[in-house]
Amino acid sequence: MQCGDVSETIRFMSKVTLKWKGMTISGRFINEIGDYVIIKLDNGYNMSFRKSSVEILEVLEPPVERNNNNHKSSHKNESGGVVIIGTGGTIASYVDYKTGAVKPLKNFQEALFNTDELEALGNIEDEILFNIFSEDMDPEHWIEMARKAFEKIKSGRAVVFAHGTDTMSFSASAVSFMIENNHLPVIFTGSQRSSDRPSSDAYFNLKGAIKLAATTDVGDISVVMHSDISDDFLSIHRGVRVRKMHTSRRDAFKSINDNELGRIDHMLNVKLNDNYRRINREKDMILRDKFERKVSLIYYYPGIDKDVFLEQVEKSKGVIIAGTGLGHIKNDLVSELSQYKDDKIIGITSQCLYGSVNLNVYSTGRNMLSAGLVPLKDMLPEVAYVKLGFLLGNFQFQKARELLNVDLRGEISDRRTN
Amino acid sequence: MRYLTDAQTNVKIGLEIHFQLKGEKLFCKCTTEGGDQKFGSFWRKLRAVSGEASMVDKAAVQEMSKEREFHYDITDNSCLVEFDEEPPHIPSEENINASIKAALLLNCKIVDAIDFMRKIVIDGSNTSGFQRTAIVGINGYFQHGNKRIGISTVCLEEEASRKIDERENKIFYSLDRLGIPLIEVSTSPDISSPQEAKEVARNLGMLIRRIGKIQRDVDSIRQDLNISINGGNRVEIKGVQSLSAIEVVLENEIKRQKSLVEISQILKQRGFNQGDYKIEFLDITYEAGKWNSNIIRKSIEQGNKIFIFRLPKLKGLLKNGNYRLGRELADRLRVLGIGGMMHSDELPAYGITENNIVWIRQILNLKEDDAFGIITMPESKLSSVRNSIEERLEQALEGVPAETRAAVGDETRFMRPLPGSSRMYPETDVPLITISDEQLERNIKDLPKSVEERILELESLGIPKQEAMVSLDLGTDEIIEGIVKKYGNPTVSSSFINKVKPKEKDLERLEILFRMLSQGKIPKEALDELYQNPEKIQERIASGDETVAMENRIREIVRSRKNLILERGDNAFKPIMGEVMKEMRGKLDGQIISKIVREEIDKIIHEK
Repeated sequence: MQCGDVSETIRFMSKVTLKWKGMTISGRFINEIGDYVIIKLDNGYNMSFRKSSVEILEVLEPPVERNNNNHKSSHKNESGGVVIIGTGGTIASYVDYKTGAVKPLKNFQEALFNTDELEALGNIEDEILFNIFSEDMDPEHWIEMARKAFEKIKSGRAVVFAHGTDTMSFSASAVSFMIENNHLPVIFTGSQRSSDRPSSDAYFNLKGAIKLAATTDVGDISVVMHSDISDDFLSIHRGVRVRKMHTSRRDAFKSINDNELGRIDHMLNVKLNDNYRRINREKDMILRDKFERKVSLIYYYPGIDKDVFLEQVEKSKGVIIAGTGLGHIKNDLVSELSQYKDDKIIGITSQCLYGSVNLNVYSTGRNMLSAGLVPLKDMLPEVAYVKLGFLLGNFQFQKARELLNVDLRGEISDRRTN
Repeated sequence: MRYLTDAQTNVKIGLEIHFQLKGEKLFCKCTTEGGDQKFGSFWRKLRAVSGEASMVDKAAVQEMSKEREFHYDITDNSCLVEFDEEPPHIPSEENINASIKAALLLNCKIVDAIDFMRKIVIDGSNTSGFQRTAIVGINGYFQHGNKRIGISTVCLEEEASRKIDERENKIFYSLDRLGIPLIEVSTSPDISSPQEAKEVARNLGMLIRRIGKIQRDVDSIRQDLNISINGGNRVEIKGVQSLSAIEVVLENEIKRQKSLVEISQILKQRGFNQGDYKIEFLDITYEAGKWNSNIIRKSIEQGNKIFIFRLPKLKGLLKNGNYRLGRELADRLRVLGIGGMMHSDELPAYGITENNIVWIRQILNLKEDDAFGIITMPESKLSSVRNSIEERLEQALEGVPAETRAAVGDETRFMRPLPGSSRMYPETDVPLITISDEQLERNIKDLPKSVEERILELESLGIPKQEAMVSLDLGTDEIIEGIVKKYGNPTVSSSFINKVKPKEKDLERLEILFRMLSQGKIPKEALDELYQNPEKIQERIASGDETVAMENRIREIVRSRKNLILERGDNAFKPIMGEVMKEMRGKLDGQIISKIVREEIDKIIHEK
């Protein structure tokens, strides 16, 4: 048989015999990529053959597929404990041998821990909410996550979200705003090295997150990730203050304009600082699960085209601008923006990330203030964007405008020590 | 019991030889050189993960059971890729081509595309927990005299970290070596004696080094060995560091394997069966505390308990001449972190008396053929220790277990069970690297000359054949060639360079010495002393200025007799030479003096 579109006729792991460069080679069919057929040899190596250079002599049916479901979720439907909610991302990914890509797991808890470890972690339930990479997350997903967390807390379970790292801080912020006064911890965690690798950070991160959710009164919706490149500590970050600051390191997440809420050591001892918000069950827990999609986040830069810029502003109900330095944008844009004073909310943050916006120092800043732009102090641009979408979705315009630069969840402070 | 003859033994040996490439590391832009500066460190844990077939590899699990911490020194030649904090970069064409050339020299079929795999290794030597490796060529051969040794694969892979230290549950590595490209050549088990193994390794090394780019330092070439004999499984021996060690390690390993095959025959004769390798421990901590053994008392003080157990039908097989089953058991416990096992073949010793032995034999109700063991360990290790002993006893009946062993000195020690193919899965961060026909053609055209051709080439420079061969073995041929082309003296340079085996850092000094030799500034007898004592070279160079002064003085004397020269022409040489020698005798080599005098006379004649 000549080698055409083999993946349509040959099943994954079928035993195949090929003729190549005068030799006979046998192995298991893995997949095809472009012009190449990939075979797994008996010694475990994959070998790729150009289709035009091989002839398939024989194909035998693949072995029976392995049983994937020997794990029983331990204590389902009981009250108490922690529920791990899978949303996708590296922490819940596996290598797809057909395409060679990293894909989300269907049942990640089982794949991550063996039975003994699960027992040791206590009362854990696991649920897959969705299976997407974090770059595919939308506000609709945030809403679902907030609703799910709210429902789980109502039923007495603390929540750990296993999430992709790229937009984890957006989701953590969104859930932070949408749930007011959560009665149990909600912790986000992820991994920078996929869990199919022995060196994955997924295990420590997830164990730490579970420990934090199960045993503490941390009310801030938080992110738990590695503190540095060693397996020494995990850092606990306030969800509305954290940012991914590196593309690949496991200690990519940093608290910005805020101190960490605490750390978890490699023996899973939790040490909390004073700056976290204690859970208060005296007050009601409230869910506000709407979001205004017509909100933009615009990164200002020298040379920005006025028409393109204004068109985006025009189409939005609210805009967050990441300005330069103390929060500036060029003066001729300022005068244009003043026309939206009464029907749009335009908030100003800084692309410096560290430090606070201050529009009182330079004349440009003062012009911005008189144009009705709202300085958002030391709030991160992405957090401000999520907050504005949340406010416009759930509150009247005036109220939303009023709340934008008021601290709701620890996202703003008037005092910084570094 | 009769010993097995060599013919009955039917030794089958395969080699895995690793060659480090020089230049750029395989998956980042760090250099393979340097690494002696340290910039801090970090530590990690590793855990076994599912392979492609979803089976956690047995060897990998064993490593994990040790709960170890791996500490890594960051060096000047390591970056985020080595820290496992950044995905691998695509390998350079230079490194790919070197591996293709190696495969071509070994008559392999070159793959259509290079497909990197992750081979799980969780002893911490790779920060990622796996080694990246890919097949470049398969199904080749190496012509060794009249014999063809099959080459099953030539792979391109990344070197592991360098182990610095091991303490308690911590292992310390340096990242300087991690990621250096390695060409791994695996032969078929076609080699039939330790001596042949050594010769094949040496000759094959000579051939592969022909592609250049191969590190010359001693520890840059490492051999792993596969060996099996009749009646036994394949054993892999890791990390044989030198050619000379191959032979002796293999001889000792064959002895060990033979003895294991013999033990299995004895066990069968004694009727050893399934029931006999079920181990039951008896806790005798209270009784043993009263004994006069320091080892036991100390161990109890450390919180360990003392257990004894029956080893049925094993008397005289644990430690008796070549029979060392006791050590085999102890090795298995060592990887579990248990150091303290004693057995009846080595007792009385360690303060355990004949009376104690009688007591144990009575308590365990032992028969004549039975042996016993004593273990000091924390109670928590009981079940893993039991499993290990039972597993090894079961294997004793089969003969030689399939294992990965480490070369330690001249012998081998158990490391882990032989890893299965389930520890391989695709490296998804590196795309398929296709090899075009043009690239293949280019490499075929660029192939270095064969060893034989190269020897002829070196001989044509005047280098003696013997030295040429030695130089290919040592990898010094290019250095010799360079020196001879510049400064002549093929016999002296080749034997000297082969003797001192210069490293990269020695090359400049070598060059200075041979330049001085060719200029007559030093006699060849001085080479050795000057090479070993670089500070003396400077003194010589300084005194070289004196030589220049003397030379000038000679020319001056000659010029002062210009009239004589113009009158007598060449015949003026003799009297002038006599005059010069009066002044210069003993200060400068006579031949050199005569050369300068002749030169100057010629000059004057031609000025006319």
